[in-house]
Amino acid sequence: MLVMGEVHTGLLQNSGEISEPACRQVLGLMTGETVRVSRRPIVHALSPDRLTGVDCVLPAASGSRIRGVGTVVSRCAVTGGRVAQGSSYVRLARSETDRRLPWSHYLARPGVIEVLGKARAADIAEGFVGEGAPRLHGCLDLTAVTGRFLDLVQTSPLLNRRAPFRMPRTILRWVAETGEPSIAFTLHTEQERTLRLTHPGPFTPAVVDLCEDLAVHDWLLTSLLVVVERARVGATPAAEVAARLSPAVDHLLHLWMPAARVEERLTPFWESLERRPGFSRQWRSLVDRVRDQLAVHTLALLSANAETGGR
Amino acid sequence: MTPVHATFGEVAAERRIASVPLSHVSVELGHLYMEDFEAGPARLREQFRRVAPWLATIRSVWRERVPGGRARVSTCFLVDDYFSRFSTPAELVPMILEAAAEHDLTIDYLARESACAQFEDGRSGAVELARLVEDRLVDDPPPETDGSRPPVKETGWLCNGSRSPLTTPLQAMGKARPWEPPTQNAKRGHSIFVDVELWDERGARRTWSCPFLAAVWQLLRLGLLRAEGRVPLPPVPLEGDWPGDWDRLPAVVRINPQAAPFSAYTTLSVLSPRFLPVELAVRTILGQVAVDDEVLRQVAARSESERVRLEEELVDRVSYVFT
Repeated sequence: MLVMGEVHTGLLQNSGEISEPACRQVLGLMTGETVRVSRRPIVHALSPDRLTGVDCVLPAASGSRIRGVGTVVSRCAVTGGRVAQGSSYVRLARSETDRRLPWSHYLARPGVIEVLGKARAADIAEGFVGEGAPRLHGCLDLTAVTGRFLDLVQTSPLLNRRAPFRMPRTILRWVAETGEPSIAFTLHTEQERTLRLTHPGPFTPAVVDLCEDLAVHDWLLTSLLVVVERARVGATPAAEVAARLSPAVDHLLHLWMPAARVEERLTPFWESLERRPGFSRQWRSLVDRVRDQLAVHTLALLSANAETGGR
Repeated sequence: MTPVHATFGEVAAERRIASVPLSHVSVELGHLYMEDFEAGPARLREQFRRVAPWLATIRSVWRERVPGGRARVSTCFLVDDYFSRFSTPAELVPMILEAAAEHDLTIDYLARESACAQFEDGRSGAVELARLVEDRLVDDPPPETDGSRPPVKETGWLCNGSRSPLTTPLQAMGKARPWEPPTQNAKRGHSIFVDVELWDERGARRTWSCPFLAAVWQLLRLGLLRAEGRVPLPPVPLEGDWPGDWDRLPAVVRINPQAAPFSAYTTLSVLSPRFLPVELAVRTILGQVAVDDEVLRQVAARSESERVRLEEELVDRVSYVFT
C-alpha cells in the first residue's frame, strides 16, 4: 500500500570519532545479533533491527480515524564514527479483517502495520508528509519511536558526551510507493525535511538505505552551513573565523560520500537530486569557502611572520 | 570501451543466516523434574506408556500429510538440570532409555534444560539463549499504543493485555479508585488475562522461570533461533560413556545416529495436564517473540519446496497432547 518512515540524524555525542569496535558495541542492541559494518568507501555501522508494537490511529490528511495494528522496524547507524542516526519505518497493508487479531499474527509479518477498515494510501501519505496536515490525537508517533532509538546510541556509556560543537538533530520524514520513478525532497523548518519517493518494483530495505543516505548528506550540508554561518566571515577577525571553522575540517569535510550505500537501481534518485538542487554543488562551494578562509588566514599568518622576521 | 560492471562485497556488511535441517515434527516424549526422579522409575514407565500411542498416531498423521509418505519425525527428552541438580547422566540416562525401550520408544535426542538459559563449551562457545529470546520479545500493545512512550513494562513480567490500574490510594490522594479489571488485547467478548513472570533476581543472580525456558526450548525445537547468524546448540553425538557430571554433557545429545533432524517445522509435546498452566504461559511468551525475518523466510521456503503447508504464526506450530 505505502511505506513510511523517519530518519533522525545528529552528531555523535563524543569528542572525536569512534573506532569500528566501539561502533559495534554502541550499536549492539540485541543479544546474538551482529552489527553490520562496511568499510568502503566510508565506515558505516548498522545495528540489528528492532520492533515496536503499535495499535493506534494512522496519520490522515482528511482527519479520518484510520486504525492500524502492527510493528515498526527501527535501527541505528553510525557513519564515519561521527554521525549517528535513528531510523524507523513501517509497511502499510490492508487487513483482511476489521478486528484486531492475536499478536502472533502481526509478529509473523515484522515491520507491517495492518490497516483496519477503509483507507486511501494517498490520504495517509499526505497526512504524514503533507504541509499543514492535522495532527490527530493518539496518532502513530514515529518521531518518538525513532528519537528513542537515537537516544539509545547517544546515551551509550561508551561515549563521553563532549561533542566538538552543538548541532540540532534533523528529522527526515519519508513515504515511498511503487510507480513511475519520482522524488520530491522538501525542506520545511530548520530541522524538518520530507521526502516523497515513487520507485519502480516492490519495496525493499534498499529504499530505507537511500533515505538514510540522503538524510546523512542533508545533515552534513545543514551542519556545514551552520558552522560557516556561525563563523561570521567578514564580520569577525580572521583568526577567530579560522578557529570557528576548524571543527568542520576536523569532523565533517571527509564524510561527504553521496550514494555510497545506495543500491545501483536507486542511484538515479540521487543523481536527479544532484542536478536539482545540486547537493554536491553546494557542498563543494561551502568546502571551498572554508578552505579559502583557512588559506587566507594561513597566508596572513605567514606574511605577519615574515614581517616580524625581516625587521 | 563498454561499461564494466563492478561488484564489491564486504563480508562484515552482510547478514549471513545459517539454515538448519528440519524434520516434520519434533515429539517431546517427556520432561523429567526432580520430583519425577524421586518418584522412581515407575513414574517414568507410566509416562512412556501414556506417550507411546500418541507417537504412533502422530507418525501416521504425518505419513498421510507428506507427499510420498516419508515423514521425518524425531523424538526428544528434556532433563531439568537448571532448577535442581539431581543424580548424574551416567546413572539417570540409561534408566530413561531403558524405560522408553520397554514401550518400544526410541529417544533420538536428550537435552539439558540449563542449556536453554545459557551454555558454554569449546565447540559452541558461550550462548545465552534466554537473553537472546528476551531481546526478541515485542510486547503485545494495548489499543491506543501509538509509540509516543516506551512500552509499559513490569520488569521481568510479560502479559497479554493491560494490567489493572493501581487501586491502593496514595496517602495524600485520599479517595481510593474503584477496582478496574485487566483486559486481554485480543479478547473475544471476555478477557483471559495472563501475566507471566519471566525471571527473578536475587542479588546479581537471575533465575529464569520454567515457562520462559520452556518457550526457549520450543523455539530451539522449531529451529527458529540463531546466535550471530549461526545455529545455536546443534546436537552432537556422545563421545564415550554417559559422564558422571551434568556439566560434561553436551546441551543436546544425539542418541540415535539414524535420527531425523532435531529441529522441525512443528512440535508436539505429550504432557500431564498438570503442565497446562505452564504451557499457557509458554504460548503467551511465544506469541510475543519476534523471530528473525530471514529465518522465517528460510523455513517457509523449505516447507513450500516440499509442499508442506505450515501455519504462519509460530504458536500454531506448537501442539500438545495432555494426557
